Amino acid sequence: MHDAAARHDWPARILADGALVIVVVLWWLASRNLPAFVLPSPWATAQALGRFVADPALMLDVAATTGRVVLSVIVATALGIALAIVPFYLPATRDIVHARILPFLNAMPSLGWAILAVIWFGVSEVSVIFAQTAILVPFCFINVSQGIDEIDAEILEMTRSFSRRRSLTFRKVIIPAVAPYVVAAARLAYGVSWKIALIAELFGSERGLGYVMYQAQTISDPATVIATCFVIVILFILGDLLVLRPLYRFASPQDRDKPLTFT
Amino acid sequence: MRSLSLSTRRKLAANLFVAVMLAAWAIAALRLPGYVLPDPLVVVRQALAFFTDAKLAGHVVASIWHVVAALALAFFFGTALAVTSHYLRVTRILIGRAAAFLNSFSSIGWALLAILWFGLNDQAVIFAIGVVILPIFMINMQAALERRDAELIEMTASFTRSWPRGFISVVLPSLYPFMLATTRLAFGVAWKVALTAELFGGNSGFGFVVNIARQDIDTPRIFAVIAIMIAISFLADRFMFAPLQRVLTRHYADA
Repeated sequence: MHDAAARHDWPARILADGALVIVVVLWWLASRNLPAFVLPSPWATAQALGRFVADPALMLDVAATTGRVVLSVIVATALGIALAIVPFYLPATRDIVHARILPFLNAMPSLGWAILAVIWFGVSEVSVIFAQTAILVPFCFINVSQGIDEIDAEILEMTRSFSRRRSLTFRKVIIPAVAPYVVAAARLAYGVSWKIALIAELFGSERGLGYVMYQAQTISDPATVIATCFVIVILFILGDLLVLRPLYRFASPQDRDKPLTFT
Repeated sequence: MRSLSLSTRRKLAANLFVAVMLAAWAIAALRLPGYVLPDPLVVVRQALAFFTDAKLAGHVVASIWHVVAALALAFFFGTALAVTSHYLRVTRILIGRAAAFLNSFSSIGWALLAILWFGLNDQAVIFAIGVVILPIFMINMQAALERRDAELIEMTASFTRSWPRGFISVVLPSLYPFMLATTRLAFGVAWKVALTAELFGGNSGFGFVVNIARQDIDTPRIFAVIAIMIAISFLADRFMFAPLQRVLTRHYADA
């Protein structure tokens, strides 16, 4: 976050890079005195990480999880938009959405969705996607709703005085105003989904990174648990850098140079 | 209907919506088997058992203890790290990277590693919750420190040359509202993560209860746990955090 601002801050850079080396060295030293089922060596973890690009079965797991993450982010963003737009056109429903549905979705534990999904849909693709989507919807909704709230009322009034066609207002005013928030919502959901939504795979699936991680834990193989976590971090960064950041720049040309922050 | 104000209509619609949803649940429960969708009344009875049965009440207390302990630890370490990175500029990139790394690390990964490191006990659960909410404190407290009024800092410097004194009597109080807002946010997350951490790494708490109920396909109990968790999270936010935040904001952040 501060990397760009501190590009010329050499001591801080050296400390940050040096600390990384020290952490790895300490990790290595600690792992020599601890059994491998407690703390694997950095080398063993790197080997476990390497298997993700060598073993076809593990590659399928990566592909399965990535597919589910992408699909659930898309569905959750669509549902978030739908939920956020209802009170805009039907003002009387505002409390239904903001004071009833949102607090409920927000307070619902992710694990609750995962377990209910398995009870309702069995161990299947549907139950994983359902649970992941349900977990992500409130994050998307809050962002899109913020975008809709910030549409300038005067601009809307002006548009109405120019044209009575609702579709034109929608296309020319509402979509451009809300688009950056929609992409921000998708971006946030994408991050959350890699972090939390894997939970659905622990119960509701026989394939995917969540399943790999759980299997590794049951046979006391922390190298694979840690490697899976690294794979998740790497996949998250790749998707964000290659897809979502460019999309965000496209959706909000005026904020091209602004740092991306979420609140 | 026309004569009612918009806000009244909104409230009416919201309550009507809840009533309709509950009715729909009750009717659907009549047609579906109990392990798929339990009757609302059965769920209510099960939920009440958590406050009358001593063994179940113990699990409620255990979960609250896990969340409170994790919040306290994450608050302390997160704020300390944020203060360090703010005043000791040389550590800024390092702590910023640590926060970004922690923030993108899988919470289930932490829960599974915690079991391997601590075994099935309270420490594992508290560690797993704490480490998930730690970056929330690091990032938000750092942002709060950045955002503080530069004039306030200048005034402090002109009144006292003693850094600890200025820090304790001016800087720290100006952070109270941010601390509370961050704790409020972290509480919501911690409460939800607790269920995961307890299910995998605990021998007490709601997660433990859910794990057993899941194996017995005791759906009413799972529903009851979820209902209690939502209720506690809602009540704590409405009757503890919201009033506290109003008081603190009035006292310390009067702009």
